[in-house]
Amino acid sequence: MKSNIRVKEDRVRPDGLAKVTGTLKYLTDLTFPNMLYGKILRSDYPHANILSINTEEAEKLPGVVAVITYKDVPGMNRFGIIVPDQPVLCEERVRYVGDAVAAVAATSLAIAEQALKLICVEYEELPIIDSPEKALQADAIKLHPAGNICHRSSYSNGNVATAFEACEAIVEETYELPRQLHGYMETEGGVIVPEEDGGITVYAATQHGFKDRFQLSRILGIPESMIRIVSSPIGGSFGGKDELNIQPYAALLALKTKCPVKIHNTRAESIRASLKRHPMKITAKTGVDSSGKILAHQVKIVADKGAYATLGPAVLDFAVEHAAGPYIIPNIETEGISVFTNNGVMGEFRGFGGNQITFALEGQMDRLADVLNLDPIELRRINLRNATDLGPLGHRIAPTDSAALILNEIEKLEIAPKHENSKWKRYGAGIAISMHGGGLGFGRLDSAGGRISLNKEGKVEISFGFEECGQGLVSVIENLVIEEIGCSKEDIQIVIGDTSVVPHSGSSTASRGTSIVWQSLQKMKEPFKKKILAHASTILSIPQEELYLGSKGVWKLGEEDGPVMSYKECAEVLLDGTVLTSFHFPVTPDAVNGGHFLYSFGGVKVEVEVDVLSGKVKVMSIDHVIAAGPVVSPNGFRGQIEGGGVMSLGYTLMEEVKMVDSRYATHNFDSYLMPNIVDVPFETNVYAIEELYEGDIYGPRGVGEIGTISITPAIVKAIHDAIGCWVTKLPISSEDILEKVCARGMLEWI
Amino acid sequence: MDLSNKVLENTSSTNNEQTIALTITVNETKYELQTRPTEKLINILRDQLDFVGTKVSCGIGRCGACSILLDGELVNSCFIMAYQVNGKSITTIEGLGNVTIDEVQEAFLKEGGFQCGYCTSGMIMSVKNLLALNPAPSEEDIKEALAGNLCRCTGYGGIIRAVQSLANKKARF
Repeated sequence: MKSNIRVKEDRVRPDGLAKVTGTLKYLTDLTFPNMLYGKILRSDYPHANILSINTEEAEKLPGVVAVITYKDVPGMNRFGIIVPDQPVLCEERVRYVGDAVAAVAATSLAIAEQALKLICVEYEELPIIDSPEKALQADAIKLHPAGNICHRSSYSNGNVATAFEACEAIVEETYELPRQLHGYMETEGGVIVPEEDGGITVYAATQHGFKDRFQLSRILGIPESMIRIVSSPIGGSFGGKDELNIQPYAALLALKTKCPVKIHNTRAESIRASLKRHPMKITAKTGVDSSGKILAHQVKIVADKGAYATLGPAVLDFAVEHAAGPYIIPNIETEGISVFTNNGVMGEFRGFGGNQITFALEGQMDRLADVLNLDPIELRRINLRNATDLGPLGHRIAPTDSAALILNEIEKLEIAPKHENSKWKRYGAGIAISMHGGGLGFGRLDSAGGRISLNKEGKVEISFGFEECGQGLVSVIENLVIEEIGCSKEDIQIVIGDTSVVPHSGSSTASRGTSIVWQSLQKMKEPFKKKILAHASTILSIPQEELYLGSKGVWKLGEEDGPVMSYKECAEVLLDGTVLTSFHFPVTPDAVNGGHFLYSFGGVKVEVEVDVLSGKVKVMSIDHVIAAGPVVSPNGFRGQIEGGGVMSLGYTLMEEVKMVDSRYATHNFDSYLMPNIVDVPFETNVYAIEELYEGDIYGPRGVGEIGTISITPAIVKAIHDAIGCWVTKLPISSEDILEKVCARGMLEWI
Repeated sequence: MDLSNKVLENTSSTNNEQTIALTITVNETKYELQTRPTEKLINILRDQLDFVGTKVSCGIGRCGACSILLDGELVNSCFIMAYQVNGKSITTIEGLGNVTIDEVQEAFLKEGGFQCGYCTSGMIMSVKNLLALNPAPSEEDIKEALAGNLCRCTGYGGIIRAVQSLANKKARF
């Protein structure tokens, strides 16, 4: 099956020209007069008490303008989107090697770097907790006052113990998933400019400007109204820039020095301090009757949280929610625990726990099909949800038959590998499917909204509190405004990523952007059109019913030569051309913590080549099938799915941020390998199922995450197809494959 | 006890370092500046001459975001030091699309060869170099030529389609 996504209009991304010509100014490209350079001193130890901090020598270095420690934090010396448990600047204890102890501002980068070396910090080392297992031991040192358990989450229905007794076959497996780096090409950074009123303007990437404003207000002890966040454009984020990173330090330094301060992490600094995907160990026990119907599914998730909470609790909740995925399982018991360690900080990352749990779930499905000698697609079909079934937490969700549609399309693909085995190369194919919740889920403040207006320049100004991280949100906005309002590309002005001018739309996360843009326009388009047309009607003395909005202005029915009134003319005399909307992201009516309402669905087929001599696995082809409603932006949609797929190809086959004794063994792209063009198949197809279920009023769903989910279990199944062995630990190492190949006696000379 | 942050004996080393007079041509304009001989070319371009279209991502020659043409040769500008470029001519992304938009850039726009755009400057320089040397590259040629440019957003699909659309165009003539 070939890709069915076609570029319908000859329309390129609004930010495209600036990006391909190198003229787009990212926030890390900005400079200001009298700008200073900031550097952050981070902990020498994964776990230690701070005995003293001496900054005298650093302060004396010519060119150093300010050195700050915890004593210089006027407000709350903590941050964290939900639970503020991470010190901005540590007072008496460090819990990971990225913990900040001091920061400097100097007239040059070299002087700032030199100054860091002159800061003398005396530490007293504490025992290192480098695994959740160690953290959970009764005598383990407590990383936080309440202990080492960051969060527990669970769901159960029915009775798994009795259901297992009735099972014909049971498979049990433990799946181990690695610490993944977001790997955005632009490391964290930006410039913070002090303003005359004592406030600041922050030019630094984030995925939720208003949340940064709130957090910075708490840290700096100044009202939110004195903080302006300019947060777009961004050179990639994938969840990784959702939490504060360099902002508090540049802000404190800017206020202290009264000069703009730029901090731009080097890659090594970025890897040391940034969030990562949670490593998880997932044990799943799943039982079926003789027909293949799953009777019981028991899952235990242990997540390595690292030192601080950030959105870790929500990630665990998401994993627990998706433990049954698109399958109806009568008896289920899922228990998750997220545990503090000294292993960096894990947090929000595209897929949000869905990647880990789906690897386990689809792995179980494939193992069961194998044991029962059933076709893997058939086993999935037997257990698949129907359109009006409850969601995975027994909660009501928007009815959808996408799970079945996905499976049907996957079935149409030729599953058998196209390549023939040779002596040293074995080929195999595998499929997997998944469902993925969009939005933040029940019980979380998930405000959405937008604004449209005819501005004074005669532009249809459309505004959201979102950021452009590369995902193509600006294309989505432009395409939907053209479609819903009727104006042309040239008439539109998109305003995003600046808290001083945008409305509250919530975060640019959780596959929610596209949904919110579409839903906002549904709410705003009629009132907006009415405002403009009523105004034009009065001025032109033409009945409103004969007027409509089109390219360049207001048109009259039957007059095809051009608009009867330009937007500019209209704007000159219009008093109020603005329509605002504000609403809550659609959420399940059932009071189930974290339960989602809108889900997207995806399936994938991959073919792999396993080199039985080297143990190398190569992905030969990837076919995605995605059901997320209408495709709004064809290149953006395809790009999100393909890019997400390759990101997870890396997660499956090569990526791991290694740590030894809670210190990073990986510092840059020489020891952290992400897929390059050689690692990806040139044969990739993305097939979109655009039809929504009958009566669905929620429109297109975001596709930022769904393309990352199914690919991992599909690759693992394809490897099993090729060499008959199951892999349980990611990333899949050559050593692991070779051991399995040898154990099975697949090499002739052994 | 901490030993790694001990006070360095020579605190003024950053200020006394010798500088050299450097003459370089960037995008056909000549620049004369005073700089440390070991200053990285990427820093000279970005911080001293404000050619910020060229990006820095890894700083160790692994990602290609800082790719430029140096006397017509594709190089990572984070790997080149000032003393190596005296008298030489540099083309950055800003030097490509001056009058009409370059066909490589056009293909990237059309085929979705970028998302966040941060790798794009370097990627386009590499594609430009590939097509200059080999107007109709095969899959293997494309892989070989672009293996040094990382993109985290696209999964390379749009980049592959952009390059192939140009290769097909050339193949037809």
